[in-house]
Amino acid sequence: MNVLVILAIIAVMVALRFLKPTIVVWAIAWWFAVFAMANYGIDPPVPTSVTNMFMAIVTIALLAYVTAAEGRMREAGESLVAFFTSKKYFIPLVIMLVAVPLLVAFNVYSSMTTQPAPPAAGRTIHPPPPATVSFKGRTVDLNNDVNPYRHLEDDDSEAFAQHVDNGRRVYYENCVYCHGDNMAGDGHFAHGFNPIPANFQDPTTIAMLQEGYLFWRIAKGGPGLPVESTPWASAMPAWELFLSEEEIWDVILFLYDFTDQRPRAREVHE
Amino acid sequence: MRDPLPQRLGESRYFWGLSRERLAVAGGLLAAAAAVLLLAPIEAFASAPQDAANPAYREFPVVGSRVIMWVTAELHLMFAAFVLAVPMFAVIIEIIGYVSGDKRYDALAYEFTKLLSVSFSFTASLGAMLTFLLVVLYPALTDYLMSIFSWTFFPYVALFFLEAIFLYSYYYGWGKFNPKTHIFLGIMLNLVGTGIMFIADAWLTFMNTPAGISETGELVSLSAAFMNPMWMPINIHRIIANIAFGGSVAAAYAAFQFLGAKTDEERAHYDWMGYIGNFIAIAALLPLPFAGYWLGKEIYAFSQSLGITLMGGTFSWLFIIQAILIGNLFLAANYYLWVSMERIEGAERFRPYIKYLLIVIAGCFLVWATPHSLVASVEEARKMGGAHHPVLGVLGVMSAKNTAVNILILTTFLSFLLYRRGNKAPTVSWAKAGNIAQIAIFVSVVVFVTFLGVYGYFVEASVRIGLSVPQVLSVIFCMIAVTTIDVFMYRNARVTGKIKWGQMSARSQYALFFIALTFAWTMGLMGYVRAGMRQHWHVYGVLEDTSVDAFTPTLGYASNVVSITVLIFFVFIAIVFWLAGLSGKKAWEPAVKAGGEPGEEGAE
Amino acid sequence: MKNAVKIFGFAILVTAFYSYVGQTVPQKITYPPESATLGADMSSAELAEAGETIISGKGTCLGCHTIGSGADPSSLRFPDLGGIGAAAATRVEGQDAVTYLAKALYEPNDFIAEGFLPGMPTINRPPIGLNDDEIKAVIAYLQTLGGEPTVTLVTDLGYTTEVSAAPTPGATAAVGSGLDGPGVFQTYLCGTCHNIDAAGALAGPSLYDVGSRLSNAEIYEAIMDPDATIADGFAGGVMPATLGATGFYTKISSEELRALVNYLSAQTGG
Repeated sequence: MNVLVILAIIAVMVALRFLKPTIVVWAIAWWFAVFAMANYGIDPPVPTSVTNMFMAIVTIALLAYVTAAEGRMREAGESLVAFFTSKKYFIPLVIMLVAVPLLVAFNVYSSMTTQPAPPAAGRTIHPPPPATVSFKGRTVDLNNDVNPYRHLEDDDSEAFAQHVDNGRRVYYENCVYCHGDNMAGDGHFAHGFNPIPANFQDPTTIAMLQEGYLFWRIAKGGPGLPVESTPWASAMPAWELFLSEEEIWDVILFLYDFTDQRPRAREVHE
Repeated sequence: MRDPLPQRLGESRYFWGLSRERLAVAGGLLAAAAAVLLLAPIEAFASAPQDAANPAYREFPVVGSRVIMWVTAELHLMFAAFVLAVPMFAVIIEIIGYVSGDKRYDALAYEFTKLLSVSFSFTASLGAMLTFLLVVLYPALTDYLMSIFSWTFFPYVALFFLEAIFLYSYYYGWGKFNPKTHIFLGIMLNLVGTGIMFIADAWLTFMNTPAGISETGELVSLSAAFMNPMWMPINIHRIIANIAFGGSVAAAYAAFQFLGAKTDEERAHYDWMGYIGNFIAIAALLPLPFAGYWLGKEIYAFSQSLGITLMGGTFSWLFIIQAILIGNLFLAANYYLWVSMERIEGAERFRPYIKYLLIVIAGCFLVWATPHSLVASVEEARKMGGAHHPVLGVLGVMSAKNTAVNILILTTFLSFLLYRRGNKAPTVSWAKAGNIAQIAIFVSVVVFVTFLGVYGYFVEASVRIGLSVPQVLSVIFCMIAVTTIDVFMYRNARVTGKIKWGQMSARSQYALFFIALTFAWTMGLMGYVRAGMRQHWHVYGVLEDTSVDAFTPTLGYASNVVSITVLIFFVFIAIVFWLAGLSGKKAWEPAVKAGGEPGEEGAE
Repeated sequence: MKNAVKIFGFAILVTAFYSYVGQTVPQKITYPPESATLGADMSSAELAEAGETIISGKGTCLGCHTIGSGADPSSLRFPDLGGIGAAAATRVEGQDAVTYLAKALYEPNDFIAEGFLPGMPTINRPPIGLNDDEIKAVIAYLQTLGGEPTVTLVTDLGYTTEVSAAPTPGATAAVGSGLDGPGVFQTYLCGTCHNIDAAGALAGPSLYDVGSRLSNAEIYEAIMDPDATIADGFAGGVMPATLGATGFYTKISSEELRALVNYLSAQTGG
């Protein structure tokens, strides 16, 4: 949030109120206020794709407002006619007639001269997992198998702590370089990756997923992502080549333990 | 007729493909189709499988099998939805007319019913076409579905006959029976229609969430296959959505007549009819998101893969499109109410509130349409530190969206409340207290819903999903409580102004078209995802699609197909409107005065 | 009427708008996972497509045959397959195309096209060992060469490969079963492609004088790494594939290999 910009926008809108502008001016002012808000009021800036959608919705809403009452409609029509015909508005009219094409030209120019960049693309963050994966010749059923050590949490807290500790060791030997000390996806190597490593502190990552899902992602890594989550360039290795099954389950325990999250519970089908 | 199937299936279960298509839908429905199947062909099909030259797929020229199947099934579905929905509210309106003794309601119910008979024939014809296409283009799939559902075709056909009998006796018997008998016919018509839909739903939901079959796909339990996990959620979802859709199409019919009306009387009548149709559509729209969540939950419970494909994977962007559609629906519905206030004397006093309502609606709309993972260029993504925007990311998740939807619903409800009060002033002594109570309920429910939404960020996912239930319940409580107070408060209210039916701008009527088009488009899109989420399966996890169309197309492509389907539907429905209007036309007379022909009304 | 046109125009606008919205989200096609399985419900055309893959892959047909090479038949060692779909029906009186092609694959040396030597292996036997379905796919593809495919997987060709039938000796040679040179040569079906007692080349160069052309070391290399040196006029890749398919490389013992090399180096022609 960029407080200064937000205050400035509010100040301008309040000031405008005292000028008692016509409905058309109001609508335009609102439009620009939202536009400025989305582009400059929020930090980091909102991606263009989202601003465009926001502005489309705002445009529809403003149109709806102007046309929803007969009186406003008439007022809007009259002021538009006045703007184009009255001598009084000659200079603003000329400015507008010049500015609008210029703006369009500028937009075209700037979009054509930007640096080459990979096309904007939506990546599927949580691609659907397969029903089963094979792990070193064994089949793991992602839908029905549970973390074989999770039950220890209730049954045998000492053994559980051992598993978590083992997970801690695995994490700091393997994962910490990318996923970071406090699991925020900001390890030493993180800045070199696109997409950046997952942030486990984010409530929309591991807290939304079942443990089997994590097992799948850890075991199969970037190379195991399904086609539909392309384009991907995930640097995550396929850890099945380096870790044992127990180590993977342990590190999953540790992830949840460290971030103080709970895995998504299995839906019980009644 | 069943013996060859298990055998074939055993040999080939890995191959049978299944197209993602609407086949499923198809599966069903069809009426006339069923009749056709009933006669000779079933025998022929059953013995055919061992035949040598019996391909699993045939190609439809030019557009391909998938598209023709898709469009036909969707058109059939839209007409079926209309035919099933209209009797529901026609009967309710008739009952209102009977109880209140207001003749206008009876006439309105009759006018709705008039649209039915032609639509019924269209539905059956499209159903027949769908079945033929299914049999011709996807014989292997058809065979398999028959091996599962053969015995359900008979009650289906039987119900279809009953449907025809009740429909025509209801329509032609208008005013010719004792009103109670007539209402009974209408209720039977609805029961039978719902039964038909329930059977057809079993066929198509089976393709999404197959149950009651063995490892190799043979039928083990027909009742389990019939009542598969998605069956009841789809039934409920469809009933509600059908009413919404039917209401919006009926409103579009009224708008069409309104724009062409020549007398003030006609204009008043059709204005009113459009208002009622729209009211029905929006009232049914309000509970629809909840039914949708239930449906989604059942799908997720059936298979995590299917659930994630639907909500988080390939189709997550489809739900952004859906959010835009539903947002537009709410906006247009409110817009119509606001414009409608223009014709109510005394409603001017509520006009200043409109802008606040609009701000809330636009705000909720923005939240709802905010994607979870954003489309961002690499540079933008770097600034955000990932595909999740630190601020907007908060809006992209279920908690925020549920809250937004609930507030949207409440806002729309408020718009309606204001509209209702437009020309009335309460006379009861406790009016002030009542008002305060209503406001208190509104405020506390909004606070409660928002609180739950925010609270959802701090609890685990399974609890968060559970939070949508108290949210929904509190919203429903608010609507019921406020309505109850309102009804008593405005009993014997002083009427401060007239409702000038017919004094509506053309804009408002276009808003009704917009709503009907958006409903139809939403239905097309949701139909697509229902069928599409199976991806390369005909019957999910059982019969694989090996046709050339086994891939899932882009959303842009699907949008184009949906658009074309919607346009075709409206051309068809225009024909229905025109036919329904014929009966009201004067008899043809041989001698024509120069210049007196219809169609020249634009000249003056 | 005017209204109807206006409304229809409006409908087109609205649907076009939604179509546009549909284009603005990420566009991704998801393809079903690749599967080599042949489906009973495949049409002949689809079967032919699968057949094309088999012909250049598992079937190794193109190691010997050409398709539409346009060369003078007398310069070819094996028949060109261009136009076979049409020609097949005319080769043997009383046999339609499918019967002819099936016979040509199941009993290849029963009918030899004029001007060619017998030498084609039986396709449903090792080393190529296509199964009946794959052979049908191949026939479907061959039919497309100058004709229309009519074969589907339910077509009865009159041949059945009994999967449980005793496999050919070559396929079951146990590891290090102590064969002598000629025994190895026979067991691993070398004679299918290589002429051992005459000068004429079959699919591969004649070996009747190999002992005078190559040193023991070169023979050894030619067996263990056939593509290291390719004799003029022959294609690479064929021998590793066909010999590999017999299990030669996993089963041959060093004694047997020595015996084979000695046997071959003793072939000095005459």
